[in-house]
Amino acid sequence: MTFFLLNVLLALAWAALTGQLTPENLIGGFLVGYALLAFSRRALGCTSYVTKVPKVISFILYFAVELFRANLRVAFEVLTPRQRMRPAIVAIPLDIRRDLEITLLASLITLTPGTLSLDVSSDRRVLYVHSMYVDDIDVFRREIKDGFERRVKELFT
Amino acid sequence: MTLTDLALYIILPILSVALILAVSRLIRGPKMPDRVVALDLMVTLGMGLIAVYAIATDQAVFLDVATVLALISFLGTTAFAYYLQRRPEA
Amino acid sequence: MSIETADLVTAVLLVIGAFFMFVGAVGVVRMPDLFMRMSATTKSVTLGVSFMLAAVAVHFNELGLGSRAIATIVFVFITAPIAAHMIGRAGYARQVELWHGTIADELRGRYDPETGELISKPPVHHPERLPSDGTD
Repeated sequence: MTFFLLNVLLALAWAALTGQLTPENLIGGFLVGYALLAFSRRALGCTSYVTKVPKVISFILYFAVELFRANLRVAFEVLTPRQRMRPAIVAIPLDIRRDLEITLLASLITLTPGTLSLDVSSDRRVLYVHSMYVDDIDVFRREIKDGFERRVKELFT
Repeated sequence: MTLTDLALYIILPILSVALILAVSRLIRGPKMPDRVVALDLMVTLGMGLIAVYAIATDQAVFLDVATVLALISFLGTTAFAYYLQRRPEA
Repeated sequence: MSIETADLVTAVLLVIGAFFMFVGAVGVVRMPDLFMRMSATTKSVTLGVSFMLAAVAVHFNELGLGSRAIATIVFVFITAPIAAHMIGRAGYARQVELWHGTIADELRGRYDPETGELISKPPVHHPERLPSDGTD
């Protein structure tokens, strides 16, 4: 986190030195600052930050693509007359334990159209999810665990 | 066709129809939670309308209205959900 | 970016946003029960409004305005799932009817009626142990 702030500071310094506070300059400055941190990761001890940034970006991209695809699927479902939903409420056992991770996972599941996380059990072991398309409950459970949960777990380790 | 025309004659009517659909769910909604969902939807549609209006009239100030509406809508929905959970009947 | 491209991008973003918002509104009317209504609408409308705010940011092309638009988009994306989650839970607690085509409800009977706690009975692939097992 402190290294992220340092990176932002470097981006601001870059923008200040070039004299133009435009979005392009800020993004460019961020990239230059990131490269600087990547070069000096031994000296500064920010290896975990350097490896995490591409992971976070690829996670966001993966999620954006997933969000768009799922939205189109639901849009198709809503606009065509035939309805082929198979809704179910499924209990998904969680491997992640920390509140932040569970919150992130539940929010991501809710943001994907067609699925909606309803509640977490009081001992934080099971997440209850409502989904519109469940052909097979076990397959759906595995999809969530291998897709979102694995990526959330990777993000935090 | 200019951007203003597109916003005024195509986007705004679409959003208005969407608003009417949301109101129909607000009136029909069999239970209270359905009405809350419809209300939430209406506020979000309102944000969209404000954004389109800002583009159509070239007034950037309206974006602040959309931001405030987002803040208020979240508070309202949360309060409604809390209220629904606490009161078993009605 | 020249004026024409900026206008074109704005127009495309507006059209996509309007499409998703319209889909959300149709979904809230057509879907048969509360949970499906929510999963069909909340998200597509959130995406739609984000596209529209992005269109505003592209149209005016200022740093202060763009950052405000991005902040609003982030706020909407953080709060939308929380609001949906709260309404869904409240709806389930009030026993809103599920659609007749619902194939499974693994949440049924998991709430403790007195304390309101939610127990986590292990799902299918951890079958309950037989009482004669003896090893615990």
